[in-house]
Amino acid sequence: MKKTLSCILACLLMTLSAFSLAACTQKDDAAGVYFLNFKPESAKTYEKIADDYYKEKGVKVKVVTAAANTYEQTLKSEIAKKNAPTIFQINGPIGYNNWKNYCADLKDTKLYSYLSDKNLAIREGDGVYGIPYVVEAYGIIYNKEITDRYFALKNRQTQVNSMDEVNKYNKLRILVEDMTKHKKDLGIDGVFASTSMLSGEDWRWQTHLMNIPLYYEFAENEQYDDPTVAGLNTTDITFKYADKFKNIFDLYINNSTTQKTLLGSKSVADSMAEFALGKAAMVQNGTWGYSQIADVKGNKVKAENVKFLPIYLGIDGEENQGLCVGTENYFAINKKASAEQQKASLDFLEWLYGSEKGKKYVSEELGFTTPFNTFTEKETPNDPLAKETVRWMNKEKINTIPWIFTAFPSENFKTELGSLLLGYAQGSNTWDEVKAGAIKFWKSER
Amino acid sequence: MEKRRPFINIILTVILIALSAVFIAPVFIVLLNSFKSKFSISQTPFVLPNNDTFVAFQNYITGINDTGFLSAFGWSLFVTVLSVAVIVIFTSMAAWYIVRSGGRFAKLTYYLFVFSMIVPFQMVMFTMSKLANSLGLDTPLGLVFIYLGFGAGLSVFMFVGFVKSIPLSIEEAATIDGCNPMQIFYHVVFPILKPTTVTVAILNTMWIWNDYLLPYLVIGTDYKTLPIAVQYLKGGYGSVDMGAMMAVLVLSILPVVVFYLFAQKYIISGVAAGAVKG
Amino acid sequence: MNKQIRKYSPILFLPVFLAFLIVFLIPFFLGIYLSFTEFTTVSDAVFVGFKNYLSVFTNSGDFLNSLWFTVRFAVISVLSINIFAFALALILTRNIRGRNIYRTVFFMPNLIGGIVLGYIWQLIINGVLYNYGYSILSNPDFGFLGLVILMNWQMIGYMMIIYIAGLQNVPHEQIEAAKVDGASNTRILFKITIPAVMPSITICLFLTLTNAFKLFDQNLALTAGAPARQTEMLALNIYNTFYGRVGAEGIGQAKAVIFSLLVAVIALLQLYLTRRKEYEN
Repeated sequence: MKKTLSCILACLLMTLSAFSLAACTQKDDAAGVYFLNFKPESAKTYEKIADDYYKEKGVKVKVVTAAANTYEQTLKSEIAKKNAPTIFQINGPIGYNNWKNYCADLKDTKLYSYLSDKNLAIREGDGVYGIPYVVEAYGIIYNKEITDRYFALKNRQTQVNSMDEVNKYNKLRILVEDMTKHKKDLGIDGVFASTSMLSGEDWRWQTHLMNIPLYYEFAENEQYDDPTVAGLNTTDITFKYADKFKNIFDLYINNSTTQKTLLGSKSVADSMAEFALGKAAMVQNGTWGYSQIADVKGNKVKAENVKFLPIYLGIDGEENQGLCVGTENYFAINKKASAEQQKASLDFLEWLYGSEKGKKYVSEELGFTTPFNTFTEKETPNDPLAKETVRWMNKEKINTIPWIFTAFPSENFKTELGSLLLGYAQGSNTWDEVKAGAIKFWKSER
Repeated sequence: MEKRRPFINIILTVILIALSAVFIAPVFIVLLNSFKSKFSISQTPFVLPNNDTFVAFQNYITGINDTGFLSAFGWSLFVTVLSVAVIVIFTSMAAWYIVRSGGRFAKLTYYLFVFSMIVPFQMVMFTMSKLANSLGLDTPLGLVFIYLGFGAGLSVFMFVGFVKSIPLSIEEAATIDGCNPMQIFYHVVFPILKPTTVTVAILNTMWIWNDYLLPYLVIGTDYKTLPIAVQYLKGGYGSVDMGAMMAVLVLSILPVVVFYLFAQKYIISGVAAGAVKG
Repeated sequence: MNKQIRKYSPILFLPVFLAFLIVFLIPFFLGIYLSFTEFTTVSDAVFVGFKNYLSVFTNSGDFLNSLWFTVRFAVISVLSINIFAFALALILTRNIRGRNIYRTVFFMPNLIGGIVLGYIWQLIINGVLYNYGYSILSNPDFGFLGLVILMNWQMIGYMMIIYIAGLQNVPHEQIEAAKVDGASNTRILFKITIPAVMPSITICLFLTLTNAFKLFDQNLALTAGAPARQTEMLALNIYNTFYGRVGAEGIGQAKAVIFSLLVAVIALLQLYLTRRKEYEN
């Protein structure tokens, strides 16, 4: 007994001294780059990039990733520290307002010169404060294998004969509802993958889906050319298209793989897994979602069958509507960091988006379609959703919907809307309360 | 009464066995699920692994890699062991000082120590982590210092209670023998304090090993302790891998249970003693 | 002797005092001051009087909701934990075979950390509810119940140990004498046993009450306040106010001050009341 005890003690002491050594030596990143990453799904890739960058340039890049839906919280506690992030990101004009005091002017940087369309940057007066680094698209992702199987059914009740014919809500609804009737034949649990409403996992609805009705509302505001600007200047929304939002939301939750009462425990990953395993035919998500589909073990979906469809709500003229394309990811450089740190940070970003090696990482491993002119056509990601995005953007007479949710008043607005949608799905509040709540919180959060 | 005892005892034993099963079951279910594939966990946690769902140690490998489990375990061990040692050494001295020096200032701080036991952490959460950061205490070693400050309340309180019961005559005898206060403390007082020392060490170990918010706010982005690593698994990589989660839960319970089984005699009597003092 | 000791205060007393000053005293008073200001970092505070305190109650109902949830939780779990723990202690002080094993088993959950506990119970509760088409987030009552069960599972063993220690001090002769006089078991329990373990009851109530009010890790891991912040307890509510959004730090600090006052008042009141009972006997 005594022997084992002294053995344990000795081991303990050894680990302790090893860690004390580490505790004393690891605090030397004062002059380095500190990147606070927003995308949890890219966390591992960024760590790899940082390692590689260190090998090549000898500059340490510390990558910290905020857990899903905690970016603002993490940024807030980190930025006030002594070794604050040198690269962080803002999510658009509203984010810029919150973090103004920390955003350095980037107008004379190489990174800004890379930007193909300078209008995309976040600017105020002469200054440039946020540079977008990825262009993304979202819509309804569908598995063509399953829809083809449906179109081959003899006893189907619809007149729709291919996905190309689906160009408005009514057609989509008829198709989806009949697919639900045949879900056994199709081998699926439901047409749509779970409408994930777990807190922090509901952004596909309270942000992305909400973008569409409000885009149409702001586009009708004749005072402004740009719907985002119109949104920023609106204190009272009417939520005119609330019932159209309800159309598609009902379709999602009534034809889902999951009972409505269970949606509150589902995450985005759950629904992507359902899609990947062939249990669902459709899922609303964006270009970033392909890696999630491909990474699922036992994945049954072939890459060539992963397709995009615009999200139709039943609004007049939506036959010409395309995918929702835009960005909410803008790099900002911390103004309060030392001059060397700011320079080192820019060097890193310019390496990542300008050098051959960096660009390879961006297009192949991060899977970003970037707004930078340093990328040639060959250097775009070749995953199916990226290709689908290009296909939709090249269609004639089809107009993409911009991401106007960067004009949503606050994170809190989205959270409250998410709770109301969850309440509606679970039956604890009505749709009228969702509508009234959205209007109320828009005003109180503005 | 005496005659009925065997019958009642049988009933009670049955109840106790059933209750023991209820108390152990949750841990057992987690263990079971840690061997199942990640998609067959959340909806059917009470089903045994079968040919389709059994994944052997796959979850453990993912869990250990994703959370950086080994380094988290190391940091937890480092912080806990060092903090408890520092707390025991310094608060026992401080308690002795408070009782024996008779100073008014020492008395006042004693009441402040006691008061700090009631105050919720949220009260000082923000200001403390700011201060810790600006003083450079946001390292594992700094964390030890912080734990000394937060552990002081309970530990000083318990040591003071015990020191008061030590007769002064023992110490006076040592003074006559020519010992200085440090020698008196280490040769005479500290050995007498041993039962309380064990209790203080155990209560602080249980607290620090499991503490989440304090280390998260102070060193969370640079160094992960076990609870931080577990929590980070939830959103750190964009999705919750239930399999890895189960494996990490098992791995974080295991050392605690092993330690408990070895030291349970001290732990249980220590906890009981701690309560009687309070 | 006193003077001798005081000479050594830099070693004996200063380290603890310094640590206490830096991590508790200064942050505590700074916190009180900041609750009357608007700030994002400590250095940019602007004095605003009682504005933050007003906002706590007028801005939205979240603080009062959390308060009500926490109070309900505390009452129910304090009662259930102490009743179960006391009953188990009574059983385990009888002459039952293997009682040390049961004691070991019942105490075990107390060693597991709050975050881990939360995820363990999330798995189990969701697994049960799934059969009925629900999850723990479907309804705030599930989260409430889950927290109560979790807290019971964690704390019963701990409190039981304390009660056992108390029960071992109950004067045997008195009980025997009462039996000879023909007193019923219930009468013995209420007239002799409970008064004799009053010190244990004081400490157990204190520990369960303060722990219930300060609960954070378990809350964060089990429900994180969902759905719609309806299962958010006070500690988590304050945390979310601080770190959840920009510009509400002052309100968060004001909430923390109110929270501290509340916990202090309740704890002291409980100690006063039960201690008085101790002396009465």
